[in-house]
Amino acid sequence: MVNRKLIKELLSESACSHNKTKKVSCDKPKPGATSGGCAFEGAQIALFPYADAVHLVHSPAICLGASWETRATLTSFKGENNTVLGYCTDITTNDVIFGGDKKLEESLDYIITNKNPNAIFVYETCVTAMIGDDMDNVCGRVEQKHGIPIVVVHSPGFVGNKNLGSRLGGEAVLGHLIGTKEPKEVHPFGINLIGEYNATGDMWQYIPILEKIGIKVVSTLAGDGRIENIQMAHRAKLNVIVCAKSLITLCRKMQEQYEIPYISISFYGKRDTTNAIMSIVNAFGDEELIKKAKIVIAQEEAKLEDALRDYKKVLNGKKAILNTGGNKSWSIASALQDIGVEVVATSIAKATLEDIEIAKSYVPILIKSPANEQSKLIDEHGVDILLAGGRSLYTAIKKKIAFVDVNQEKKVSYGAYSGLINLAKDVVDALNNPVFKVVGTKAPWEIA
Amino acid sequence: MKKPLQINPLKLSQPMGALLAFLGVKNCMPLMHGAQGCASFTKVFFTRHFNDPIAIQTTAVNDITAIIDGGDYSISEAIKNITKKVKPDLVGLFTTGLTETKGDDIKGATLLVKDKQKIVYVNTPDFEGGLESGWSLSVQAMISQLIVPQVTINPNKLLLLPNVNLTPIEVEKIKESIELFGFEVIALPDISESLDGHLGEKQGSMSAGGVEVSTIELLGDSGIVISIGESMKKCGEKFKEIQPLSQHFHLSSVSGLIDTDNFYKILMGYKNIKTPPPSIIRWRKRLQDALLDTHFLIGSSNIVIADEADKSYALSKALKEAGAKISSVIVPTRSAINAFIESEKVLIGDMEDLENALEDCEVIISNFHAHRIAQKHHKALILRGFPNYEQVGNNMNNDVLYEGSCYLLFELANLIRESREKH
Ligand code: SF4
Repeated sequence: MVNRKLIKELLSESACSHNKTKKVSCDKPKPGATSGGCAFEGAQIALFPYADAVHLVHSPAICLGASWETRATLTSFKGENNTVLGYCTDITTNDVIFGGDKKLEESLDYIITNKNPNAIFVYETCVTAMIGDDMDNVCGRVEQKHGIPIVVVHSPGFVGNKNLGSRLGGEAVLGHLIGTKEPKEVHPFGINLIGEYNATGDMWQYIPILEKIGIKVVSTLAGDGRIENIQMAHRAKLNVIVCAKSLITLCRKMQEQYEIPYISISFYGKRDTTNAIMSIVNAFGDEELIKKAKIVIAQEEAKLEDALRDYKKVLNGKKAILNTGGNKSWSIASALQDIGVEVVATSIAKATLEDIEIAKSYVPILIKSPANEQSKLIDEHGVDILLAGGRSLYTAIKKKIAFVDVNQEKKVSYGAYSGLINLAKDVVDALNNPVFKVVGTKAPWEIA
Repeated sequence: MKKPLQINPLKLSQPMGALLAFLGVKNCMPLMHGAQGCASFTKVFFTRHFNDPIAIQTTAVNDITAIIDGGDYSISEAIKNITKKVKPDLVGLFTTGLTETKGDDIKGATLLVKDKQKIVYVNTPDFEGGLESGWSLSVQAMISQLIVPQVTINPNKLLLLPNVNLTPIEVEKIKESIELFGFEVIALPDISESLDGHLGEKQGSMSAGGVEVSTIELLGDSGIVISIGESMKKCGEKFKEIQPLSQHFHLSSVSGLIDTDNFYKILMGYKNIKTPPPSIIRWRKRLQDALLDTHFLIGSSNIVIADEADKSYALSKALKEAGAKISSVIVPTRSAINAFIESEKVLIGDMEDLENALEDCEVIISNFHAHRIAQKHHKALILRGFPNYEQVGNNMNNDVLYEGSCYLLFELANLIRESREKH
């Protein structure tokens, strides 16, 4: 059953600063004027990176049919990689009439017998919530029978947006997995990475650096994650929230239950990566660790500047406008500045109040309505490059400036120090590419 | 133990087919009646497939409207909010599993706003059917709700009813070929002008092109209707009910030599002419030659297909002409055509079933999800169907008529040769 009390609590999270002014995630979506994914998608994003668990979606065709194998979340898991697989009970008319409980139970039995996963996540969706399947009961029974964790995530899309769904996913992990296993030894500088999904291998850019300093990643929610590790997450000494504010409730509760403090950081860009590492070591307050961190950071920064030298020759003095959503509105801006690009303006049309606050500290002009302001700003400031979603491509063509589709599924990571080199390469490639001018050429039959 | 669930689904939902159908109507705003996630997933899916912005809105049913609203509120609110920003010629309203489970009366809800906005409504729960039926049901709805009945016919006006699997360029090629016979051709829907990947001034929030609503309304005097693909047969029949004087011709496929022959036979018969335009004659000879040039490689190959039923039928029939051995075909849903697919084994299943059917097979023909499978098992792959996230330009893949069949045969034969050199 959907837990209304929990949803209310998650929507009015006290630790979340934007709540003081306006409950952003509480707003009901407007019919005919809504974009963005549902709670189920949020739960999927948050939990699918557990590659050693099967993720079973209890739904008809739509929820999973269009969404499996779509995320670039990478894993080092040596067994069958479940992040790229799609399991679905495929509810049909018959199940809608008679209930889907039986199908769910048979599916779970089948998965356990044939796939032998370390755990199963079961996602409740709109139709299965509507027909009132008693998923907790079924899953509890199967869990007892087979002795592997079966985690029900009550995330029907109609309860809210992606952000809420991620929170619901976090709650399910907290209630069902965290604290169910004890580690052999407790690392003095053990951390949990919360809200890092390892898209394009982002976390692999910075984990080796953390390890060099002496920090151990105990568990993750859920990038390159393992069920066993998250079960022992309560023995970490610090929760590190990466870029995503949505899992703050989980961290607050872990602080209450297990006395684990938390910090919130970003690993995009040179300055932010350095700040992130320093925030972690400062949270531990260990002199040796801090000293070590400073040495490693100096080495990494020097290495990065070396690698960026040639790119910076092209990029220095170039002006950009950024038009994307959420935390990317400031994290990418910060990264661009670190490679020598001047970010004239960034769009906040799809950012939370929290993100807007942060964006202010990086970029002088905040764009509220990109459709109206973008073109004008390009002219006024002599902008060289537009980084935006596909819809803005035509603006770049018309203005004959370079374009990078920042919302497109990336193949390489822009994360941490080494990711900046990828970003610099992509931006330089775009600036050097004549294609935008060629495409913008008038046809012979068009009057100039 | 019979598999009670789907593992790596091949099936795509009915609302997704409905969306594509409405994107083939000019200035249309497709409106999905359900919770916000369905529309979002669908939009992202087709944006990646077509590499272009996709127009869609949602009625954004939430936990409260899911219980107290019968659809009236969220639908009229949606229309109000949409028309605040844009003026669509048509709103294509289609349901999802959620709103069908609730039992919403979309017909009634549509009546309430019909003075403000022209709407076509269609029931497309995702717990029934699939991509092909969602598209077909939407076309049927457009036929019965938009076309104004007429008493006379124009024998030169041809209504083309393409199935969902035909790519934008394929629809265009079929239209052009028909035009050579002196017909006025209207495709319903027509994605050749909306999803063909053209640079348009307005990267708009509505469909980028397609058949105009006013043109659909005036289709009532079409003298001839051609439906292509089993999923479209009903659409042709539906039109025949509106215009009993028209002649309806149905073709299961227009790929390969035999089925393309049948296509031109119909046009020539209807026009009562003995020889088609010269370019058609030339392309047929090229296809004959292509069949001979490729038969050695294709005739020694073993192929497995996983795709929608109509596409699987067309592909297997065309490839069989060059001697391909098609050991298994996996389709996502039930269809009357399944029994006629030329393969040793046809089953309704998922991508795991495809993976289990690879023994002795050399080439897979399927969607993006087969990419990982092909790599894992060292098989060659031809990408067809939805989704195709990997290849740019897939909207210009052409497997139809004599010309497209040549390209298909060459693509396959070259792939077989390359993969044999590699392995
Ligand atoms: S909104 Fe509901 S039905 Fe649609 S994808 Fe999300 S969970 Fe599934």
